[in-house]
Amino acid sequence: MDIGLIIRIGHVVGTVLGVGGATMAEIFYLKAMRDDGKIDEKEGGFLKVVYSVLRWGMVLLVLSGFGFLILYRIQGVEERLYNPRLWAKLVLTLIIVINALLLQTRKISFPWGSAISLTSWYAALVLGLWRGLEAGFWEIMLWIAGITVVVYLAQGAVRKALRIKV
Amino acid sequence: MSDLLKFMLAAHVLLGIVGIIAFYAVWMGLLKRRVNIGFLKWSALAGFSGFILSWLSGGYYYVDYYGSSVKPVILQGPYPLAHIILTETKEHVFLFLPFLALVITLALWFYGEKLENEKFKKTLAAVAAAATLLGAFIAVAGVAISGAAR
Repeated sequence: MDIGLIIRIGHVVGTVLGVGGATMAEIFYLKAMRDDGKIDEKEGGFLKVVYSVLRWGMVLLVLSGFGFLILYRIQGVEERLYNPRLWAKLVLTLIIVINALLLQTRKISFPWGSAISLTSWYAALVLGLWRGLEAGFWEIMLWIAGITVVVYLAQGAVRKALRIKV
Repeated sequence: MSDLLKFMLAAHVLLGIVGIIAFYAVWMGLLKRRVNIGFLKWSALAGFSGFILSWLSGGYYYVDYYGSSVKPVILQGPYPLAHIILTETKEHVFLFLPFLALVITLALWFYGEKLENEKFKKTLAAVAAAATLLGAFIAVAGVAISGAAR
């Protein structure tokens, strides 16, 4: 098995765990809050496991992502390292980890933190798959910022419909 | 590039990333109300080991290959500032980073029971934040420098 394939498998598994974890965290949270408006010990335990899966997904994603970068350097295709899609993914990774810290220290409101996390994970997934995308770095980031606002509003509407207070 | 140099380059990058992840975990752990001191100690030790090994492998690559084969290519290429600014900054921060990591590791292993003191805990969290952010800067700078080598 060649090393490129191993790295790709690691990257896909990391993405699946991260995107799946972010999605499940949102669903478990909504379900827990919908039942009685608070997170009990059992629900908290579920969320803890989901966040743990999400974190390991991120570790795998970052390590395999840098594995790709090493491969590009060794194979002599360094121009790929200046691809705007790649830099957008690097920035999204930083946004995800900083957002997690802000959520942990309650320096960001939960609705915004949740919208940023969900959008960033899905954006990283879409950027990874969208090989032929011809857009500059700032264009990509502006789209992501706009989508984050839409996700924030949509999540607010869902919470309102389910009568969930955050 | 010889197989040994390829190995050193890969080790330099991946072990550095392991170090950053480990110190991010320490930073996060120190921000929690309930601190898991065992986790923090081992995470800091893993991060320090990662940085030291990354230091050695990166140092070998730098001395044996970068100066003679990569630096001239970058300087004659379209992005000479990648070396003039980023490599020059990176190599100095990189020399300093393992010492920062050592301070955190020693503080946790020898004074871990004093984490109940909020001031000490916050100070250590700030040092872990500095190690993480400097490590992240070095990693991103590394990508920019490698991309300029064409």
